[in-house]
Amino acid sequence: MQSDIPSRRWPWFAIGIAVAASVTVAMLSPADAVQGELVRIMYVHVPAAWLAYLAFGVTLIASIGYLLSRNLAWDRIAASSAEIGVYFTGLAIVLGMIWAKPTWGVWWTWDARLTLTAIMFFVYVGYLALRRTTDDRRARANRAAVLGVVGAVQIPLVHFSVVWWRTLHQPASILRPDGPAIQDPIMRVALLIAVIAFTVVYVSLMVKVAELHRVNDAAQAAEAGEHHPVAGASVTAPGLDPGVGNV
Amino acid sequence: MTPSFTSQVGAVVKRDLRRQRRRGDVLWITIPFGAVALLLMPLAVGTDAGLLQRIGPGMFWLTVMLFGVLVTVGRASVETQAQRDAASLLGLDPAAGYAGRSASAAALLLIYEVIVGAIAVVLYDIEVIGIPWLAVTLVLVAAGLGLLAALGASLVNSDSGGSALVPLLVAPLSVPLLLGATQAYEGLRLGSSILEWMLLMAAVVLSVAVVGVITARPLQES
Amino acid sequence: MKLLTFVHFLPVPAATLSELHDIGVTAGSTPILRGVDLVVRPGEVLGLFGANGAGKTTLLRVVATLLRPSAGVATVLGVDVTSPQRFDIRHRIGMIGHIPGLYPELTLGENLDFAASVAGVAPGGVEQALEAVGLLGAINRRAGASSHGMQRRAEFARELMLERDLLLLDEPHSALDQDAVELVNGLVGKIAAGGGAAILVSHDRGRVDAVADRSLELVAGSLR
Repeated sequence: MQSDIPSRRWPWFAIGIAVAASVTVAMLSPADAVQGELVRIMYVHVPAAWLAYLAFGVTLIASIGYLLSRNLAWDRIAASSAEIGVYFTGLAIVLGMIWAKPTWGVWWTWDARLTLTAIMFFVYVGYLALRRTTDDRRARANRAAVLGVVGAVQIPLVHFSVVWWRTLHQPASILRPDGPAIQDPIMRVALLIAVIAFTVVYVSLMVKVAELHRVNDAAQAAEAGEHHPVAGASVTAPGLDPGVGNV
Repeated sequence: MTPSFTSQVGAVVKRDLRRQRRRGDVLWITIPFGAVALLLMPLAVGTDAGLLQRIGPGMFWLTVMLFGVLVTVGRASVETQAQRDAASLLGLDPAAGYAGRSASAAALLLIYEVIVGAIAVVLYDIEVIGIPWLAVTLVLVAAGLGLLAALGASLVNSDSGGSALVPLLVAPLSVPLLLGATQAYEGLRLGSSILEWMLLMAAVVLSVAVVGVITARPLQES
Repeated sequence: MKLLTFVHFLPVPAATLSELHDIGVTAGSTPILRGVDLVVRPGEVLGLFGANGAGKTTLLRVVATLLRPSAGVATVLGVDVTSPQRFDIRHRIGMIGHIPGLYPELTLGENLDFAASVAGVAPGGVEQALEAVGLLGAINRRAGASSHGMQRRAEFARELMLERDLLLLDEPHSALDQDAVELVNGLVGKIAAGGGAAILVSHDRGRVDAVADRSLELVAGSLR
């Protein structure tokens, strides 16, 4: 069905340019003295993690915006941002694990930030699961907005609890969970460019995903429009044929 | 006679606890399930007494977080649409409804904690120390988890089997309670300060209570 | 059965108790109601008919302020059904659906006790109400162990206890014996006489026409 909502093309161009820029700086920046070529994962992992926090922050603001205004546009923003956030959190965690195995010898460590990130991932997986299981549009928006606020309010408390816990349980090894300190200015600039590029990717994806939600909502509204028969129209008077069955 | 907020909360608590007493879900399903989990864990990690004594408190609190939340999704806890409509048309303030459901969930969780806690002490040979502070911990965890679980239950369509989602929604958000409880016990055992853990758990209780009460009305919209 | 004890009268009759203009309700992408106009005046008993799936229960829930319409404007007891003030008028609206809203684990008395506590009714009202509907002897019987008809009577007892200006009944006569049918008709009549109104959704034209002032039919999501 043709949508009346214009499909913007510029986000695809922006994503293309941003990805190209990010890959370019990742490949052109020097290898690390200790990690070698493995450091290049940092140019995706760090921006992905930054993007995740940004996305969930936007979900919080949009959830509050919906609860105050009951405008479904805010709900679409919250949902879009949460979806993007979950994917990039997952990406950040997986890339981190790929980086960690050759570097630390383990796939996972109970660093405060990693643990918090993993917990946040599941908070918003739950948010998306809640949206999937709620059929009514308005109820979905109401419930997701409440969870969006509750989840975000709890995140700082989760953060403190995990940081305090890790403070008590620092490992005796020389593992450096915070990752290498970046000395090289070229690497710092490259990382900054990568972060900016990913932010552009986020904004572009937000435009497209929110557009998709808008199209879905409009399609649903159109299906329920004037030309669509009401539910009761599908029920007709039964007409039992005397020759049918034992009647 | 205009009903007060507290009288409505009291009515909801009375209703929920009566329903639970008659149905027996918590006593006959949730508590035994938690006890079975405690029984199975040594079969999975080994029965070394020293190991079990070390992980015992954590295992207990984990069963509270993961299974205790089920107190809000049993048959005696969920409401049908018709029951919710009837309660709504009695003039039940949504915030009072939430507060009442949270309080009854907290009461049931406290019962769960005491009974399953006693089983954990026996199975894992856990040292019981600092009883007053332990009691405060039990109450704070019950209150915080009760508030989270009641909020989770009000977010799902219990009529269409959405209750299975509640543990997933609650578990990640209950991390401060889990860490607060386990570290408070460790602190009592080692004789170090536990104030920050108590304050953390109290902060969870307060923040969820405030958000839950404020959002109770928007959640009731269809 | 003592009905007069319970019926309370509106202090000042309003011009209308409920007004619905061009109401539409959709469930997902499925329209249930479309272009519904309805005015309910004080003292009216309205019969509402329609085929299965016509949207009668949906319409009742809109009037009860339990369902937000997706189109149109609806006011009940002077309040927009989408406004926050709808929570403040709900205690004045009674509704008995075709599925009982009692808690099966609780006794009939305990169910009414809960309703009385929430609504702020004096404790003695429970026994009086159950006696009025002929269920005092079953006060300690669990709702889940009671017949459908008994549960309906208990719900009528609940409505007797409370001060309602608008009574919404979905299949009010189903599962009821003749005595209980007369109880329902008496209750509906007294509420109307006191300045309130009632809407009866039913498939039983004969029984509803005996008490209704006018009847409407839901066809293709709209009222005729």
